[in-house]
Amino acid sequence: MEAYQVLNALGDPTRRRIIELLGDRPHAVGELAERLPVSRPAVSQHLRVLAESGLVARESVGTRNVYRLDDPGVDALRSWLDGFWTTALTRFAGQAEQESRSPS
Amino acid sequence: MKHTSIDAIVKTVRVPLPQSEAFALFTARMSSWWPLDTHSVGKADAVDVAFPAQVGGEIVERLRDGGSSVWGTVTRWDPPAGVAFTWHPGGSPDEATSVDVGFEPDDGGTVVRLTHDGWVRRGDGDAARPGYDTGWDLVLGRFTAAA
Repeated sequence: MEAYQVLNALGDPTRRRIIELLGDRPHAVGELAERLPVSRPAVSQHLRVLAESGLVARESVGTRNVYRLDDPGVDALRSWLDGFWTTALTRFAGQAEQESRSPS
Repeated sequence: MKHTSIDAIVKTVRVPLPQSEAFALFTARMSSWWPLDTHSVGKADAVDVAFPAQVGGEIVERLRDGGSSVWGTVTRWDPPAGVAFTWHPGGSPDEATSVDVGFEPDDGGTVVRLTHDGWVRRGDGDAARPGYDTGWDLVLGRFTAAA
């Protein structure tokens, strides 16, 4: 899973809200539609985009289909953020090393 | 393991500077080390970044054309032990995530521990407010490490 796909999928407030709701617990499409200011078909469309980016997955619970957060997209996002701060902190540590060798 | 939520990012690095110097380097002299060329709103047009020494102060990136971009607001100023700030580079304050940086003395050096949290607001309290949004704008390409 590529990070840019995940980032693109999250570039929409409704989809971010869906991710928040699924972060609490898995939801059925109807439950999501009740809690969002968009129609049920629109929720389904958003879920499709999120599923394609690996952020959510559908699973059957009894006779119902529910959506939950999924590993590939979440892992891609976390690894992107991890890289972001690794780069920044590596630069910070490099500057600190330099200053420790030549105190001003 | 299945993810049920998006956890905080926690990074730790040890630097060979005393606690107070490490704190000052991270904050007051952020421009001397922050990778502005990749980690900024203006990228090549970013000139420097100013880190305020007080709660409520804004972390500001200055641009070559005289403009500026606010990255966040200091929420805890506790030198040399730690600093915390909201984080919304390129986005609106409503969409801020939160960063906390702790500085702990370690045998002449300092262990710096950075925690980046607040991706997903849980529950219906804050999240139910009209217009409220989360910190995803951080990661929407306006502030990416790898273009």
